[in-house]
Amino acid sequence: MKSRNKVLYYGKKAVAFLASVLLLSVLVFYISRLAPGDPLVSYYGDRVEKMTPEERAWAEEKLGLKDPISVQYIRWAGNALHGDFGISYKYKMDVTRVIEGRIGNTLVLGGIGFLLIFTLALLLGILCAWKEDTWLDRIICKVGTITGCIPEFWLSLLLILVFSMQLKWLPSSGAYSVGKQADFSDRVCHLILPMTVVVLSHLWYYAYMIRNKILDEVREEYVLLARAKGLKRKTVLFRHCLRNTIPSYLGIMAISVPHVLGGTYIVETVFSYPGIGTLAYESARYKDYNLLMLLCLMSGIVVILCNMAAQIINERIDPRMREKEAAETSEVMML
Amino acid sequence: MVTSFLSVQEKNGMKERLKVEHLSVSFFTDEGEVQAVRDVSFSLNAGEVLAVVGESGCGKSVLCKSIMKLLPENAKIKNGKILVNGEEIAGYGERRMRELRGKLFSMVFQNPMTSLNPTMTVGAQIAEAVRAHQKDMGKEEVEQRVTELMQLVGIEQAEERKKAYPYHFSGGMRQRIVLAIALAGNPEILFADEPTTALDVTIQAQILDLLREIQKKLGTATVFVTHDLGVVARIADRVAVMYAGKIVEIGTVDEIFYDPRHPYTWGLLRSIPAFSRGKESLPSIPGMPPSLLHPPKGDAFASRNAYALEIDFEEEPPMFRVTDSHYAATWLLDERAPKVVPPIGGNTDGT
Repeated sequence: MKSRNKVLYYGKKAVAFLASVLLLSVLVFYISRLAPGDPLVSYYGDRVEKMTPEERAWAEEKLGLKDPISVQYIRWAGNALHGDFGISYKYKMDVTRVIEGRIGNTLVLGGIGFLLIFTLALLLGILCAWKEDTWLDRIICKVGTITGCIPEFWLSLLLILVFSMQLKWLPSSGAYSVGKQADFSDRVCHLILPMTVVVLSHLWYYAYMIRNKILDEVREEYVLLARAKGLKRKTVLFRHCLRNTIPSYLGIMAISVPHVLGGTYIVETVFSYPGIGTLAYESARYKDYNLLMLLCLMSGIVVILCNMAAQIINERIDPRMREKEAAETSEVMML
Repeated sequence: MVTSFLSVQEKNGMKERLKVEHLSVSFFTDEGEVQAVRDVSFSLNAGEVLAVVGESGCGKSVLCKSIMKLLPENAKIKNGKILVNGEEIAGYGERRMRELRGKLFSMVFQNPMTSLNPTMTVGAQIAEAVRAHQKDMGKEEVEQRVTELMQLVGIEQAEERKKAYPYHFSGGMRQRIVLAIALAGNPEILFADEPTTALDVTIQAQILDLLREIQKKLGTATVFVTHDLGVVARIADRVAVMYAGKIVEIGTVDEIFYDPRHPYTWGLLRSIPAFSRGKESLPSIPGMPPSLLHPPKGDAFASRNAYALEIDFEEEPPMFRVTDSHYAATWLLDERAPKVVPPIGGNTDGT
């Protein structure tokens, strides 16, 4: 009975996932094609301007752009299900291979950035909650709010101006210097500025959330009882309050993946950092449909999976949710 | 005159656990100073139950929490002494207070639905209280003690129920758990802050009986805060009536119920339905309690008091002695005051 419940539970999630992906692919496919612009430019470059109408028609036929959008979509979806996502118009090779070459950079920037954001946010949140309403808490809150409001592109430009242009300490763009692809320290140098922007622009939002979540818990009556038992304030904070905050924090972490991902894309573009973000930007700009489709799908799948993970995490950790869910699924079974 | 009644019991040879002298506690809010407890003095002997009675917001809970220093940061003890077993603790900081909490005194709160951590098993929460003051206790011993405590508060199948979460329990059962937690450190003094208010009536009676039974068994001195005089008769040895942050009358249960002297106590007693049985309406005290933000001049109760004298509006009455254990703060007890016949109480000859 219990394992059947689980199958049903995950089955429902899987159906929801597939439906979301399908819907996403249809939307991206239509919207990208409705946007003005000439996809031939990205394949043939400037030659397009000198093409005769016959040549144009032939080129469009060759790239499969002549058919109605629905026919194009079905053809694309059929190929995609076989693992063929088409070629990139700009790079003239399989989109998967184009992405393969870039994804590592984004994972390094986004992944490490993500971990840094959440570790620092947790520490900062705990510190502020512990020192609630003291000068330290107030200063951190004020500075945090200000940094949180600065747009990523502006902060990026500012940092480039100061650290690359004026002080010449750090490189302003790219992931490595020419010819130093395998040089670890060189790569680290290139990461510092973009990473700073990614972390700074998200850090406070989550730190503040943690601070307030902990303070919500601290105001609960069970904290009074825990203190009346003779527990230390520290013990109450870490064993009771923090413990009750962590499930929602993990949930927030999972939900925030798309935000951090989006932030990474913007930062990559400003720093010309060769990752998925710059690629997505280019593909949208130059109508590189196949590349854009796959990038959007990948990002979308990550977002959907993360949201589901958030939901599952919350249900697993909170004992009340766990039993409620079991009760609900068994009700469904009875129907 | 004001403090003499405190030491009477001591002379009679009873051990004094808690003695509060001229305690004043204020909350400092954006609107100003809220004087929640004003010049309160009382004592509590070993094995005794003192009921603190009064309307909502009269400072009963604040009084208990201020003794345990569990008040929010904007609350300050402005004045007064708190002596626990003769030890003055009013000036203690958080570290020394923590050593006393749970071991010397402990507290049961009003709402059992919110006073347990929802994500921790009840066993773990009791164990935490056991370990708080017995750090060297082995794991098995702690478990043993948790089972004992759960049995003490009348929870059957303790071994299994240890692993349950608070939401598995009803309000009454949760209050038993809270009581087990409060008793884990063998406290000498227990503050019970309206422990039955949030429960329904049949469960209230069970919890009261349990409290009384445990109190008898362990001899824990108890301060029982309530607004329910029916509960007081059932559980208390002595009663302190609070109004607007002050104790206006204090005495044994018999003295308060059969020979009340303060007009506010008269009003409270008259508003118990049992006293008005067979009558058409239930008397109530007119008006509202005064704001503790700006307490009125003179006796805070004067404006609601049908027996108020002119001096009540000018000067606060001191505690007048009625007997060695019975004191009341009303000018009616001054020898110059006109004799009034109390509307309630068995002893009406005015002595």
